Amino acid sequence: MSVKVEVSEGGVPHDRIMAIGIVGSLVAIYLTYLNVLTGTQIFSFFGGIGAVFAIWWGTDSIKTLCSYGIGTGVPSAGMISLGSGVIAMLLATKLGVAAPIGLVIIAAVLGVILGFLSDKVLNMNIPVMIRQLTELTIVGALILLGFASMATGSFAFIDMITGTTTFFGIEVATYSASLIGGSIIAVIFMLGGIAIQHPFNACLGPNESQDRTQMCAAECGFLSMIAVAVMSFAFLSVSAAMLGLLVAFIGWIYTYNEYIKLSKRDAYDWLDAKPIREPKGGA
Amino acid sequence: MVENLVLGIGVTALAGALATVAGAAEDTESDIGSQGDPNSQVQLAPQMGYIHRIFNKAVSGEPPAYGLWCALGAGVAWAFMAINLNAILALIVGAAVAVFVQGVYATTAYLGRTASLAKFEQPVYIDILKSVTTVTMAHAFVAIFTTISMCYLMVAALGHPFPLPLLGLVWGIALGAAGSATGNPFYGKERQYQEQKFGAGVPISASGNIVRYAEAGERSSLDNGWFTSKLAGPASGLCFGLIVFFELWRTVLFEPFAGGWGAVIAGVVVILIFMVIDRFIETWARTTFGPYTEAAAAEPEEATS
Repeated sequence: MSVKVEVSEGGVPHDRIMAIGIVGSLVAIYLTYLNVLTGTQIFSFFGGIGAVFAIWWGTDSIKTLCSYGIGTGVPSAGMISLGSGVIAMLLATKLGVAAPIGLVIIAAVLGVILGFLSDKVLNMNIPVMIRQLTELTIVGALILLGFASMATGSFAFIDMITGTTTFFGIEVATYSASLIGGSIIAVIFMLGGIAIQHPFNACLGPNESQDRTQMCAAECGFLSMIAVAVMSFAFLSVSAAMLGLLVAFIGWIYTYNEYIKLSKRDAYDWLDAKPIREPKGGA
Repeated sequence: MVENLVLGIGVTALAGALATVAGAAEDTESDIGSQGDPNSQVQLAPQMGYIHRIFNKAVSGEPPAYGLWCALGAGVAWAFMAINLNAILALIVGAAVAVFVQGVYATTAYLGRTASLAKFEQPVYIDILKSVTTVTMAHAFVAIFTTISMCYLMVAALGHPFPLPLLGLVWGIALGAAGSATGNPFYGKERQYQEQKFGAGVPISASGNIVRYAEAGERSSLDNGWFTSKLAGPASGLCFGLIVFFELWRTVLFEPFAGGWGAVIAGVVVILIFMVIDRFIETWARTTFGPYTEAAAAEPEEATS
């Protein structure tokens, strides 16, 4: 589509963010396959990195979509992204090694259908609707697959529906102790859904700047990654889960610090325990 | 059979009590942070020239936000129970992790929204960030811990078929909705607009003109928490407590009848009874307090008096 995409002044074009997001996310999710090749669980954390790339990209998609005056629709955009993404993600996990690539194709088809329905049938008439809903569906599916593969160490459906519990010292495989059977996927759904909408929702306003919003997106991604790393203790070995937690924590501390610096740069003033300064009275 | 029933009723009462505490804490937390619908006026105020020192915790609507906090708390608790940690400890760890995430989201929301309002000369007050965030986190901990404990009771004592994280998500959304619908009007219409005449609503000219100065000094979001914890919090608690109590009560008592349909019928009857009560309270309140019906005749008199 030849619609002019609005970006903040001096910002990175949306197409470049999309390219970095999709390639980075796919590469990182594929790196979790090293688990299968080497027979360990130590590479699981790459799934979380893939989800962070997807969140980073999705934030800019939401910004593009919501620049058409959908102010209160920002959180809803996050929900529809993950809601449609979960269908594509579950279907794609049956594809074996081709799962991440297959996921992008399935999600794209699904996103076009949803975009067409909302733009043409429901008559929302937003020029970028079809493209952005397609992107958001892919983003939602990538977030779910990334975090799910981080939690379980694999992107195969079979590993998401079987977990092991210890029953009188004997390890038994059960459905109820798995990622899907234990509904951890519902937690990942919410972690992704809030993380993807929060950066633009938090930074919107006349002085919104792209680098700050995108830094907030990375921060939200690593924050969700911390939560997934904590939950991965139920599925992975202690060392693999600890490594995931460590990577997530380092990433989060770095991005959170950077975000505070950028907020300080953009803020009108940075005051500690000072009274209100009325704009007309001098200041 | 009877013992099962007595246990069921006991668990129902306990879950209802937990839910009442959760509702009260949730509403106070969201009012201190100015989340939900009152947030729009806090966001608007600097644009209308009213610089303020109120927290601006724009994470999302309360239902999705509490859906995440409670699902996350329940998910972490579930994971730690899966590796054989004590259930109570697991619930505490779950609530603690969820509160950490909530606190971080609160700070990024305040910093982001305020920095984006630089054009209107609204500064970032970092003392607000330091003093208010911790208070909202404490209230959120109470709300999350009681909600996921209630969910755990449903799974462990009542044998609910849903896994803990899914119950956390469902009841978290319900909790956010109850607090948002019941408690927020106290903050949004009564506290923010105390300078307006009672029952006047918020005319366009008053948009963003929220109360910024207190009886002494400047109003902080903690004052709003103090105000709303008096009536709005308990009202939200009552609302959410009743929802949880009636939901479990009808299932425990009436499920054996008509192959499970007994509980469904009881639910419909409860809803109908509450619709009648609501209608009665609304008409009674409007005729007793509301200026709507007599507005045209009464207005000139009030202007002179």
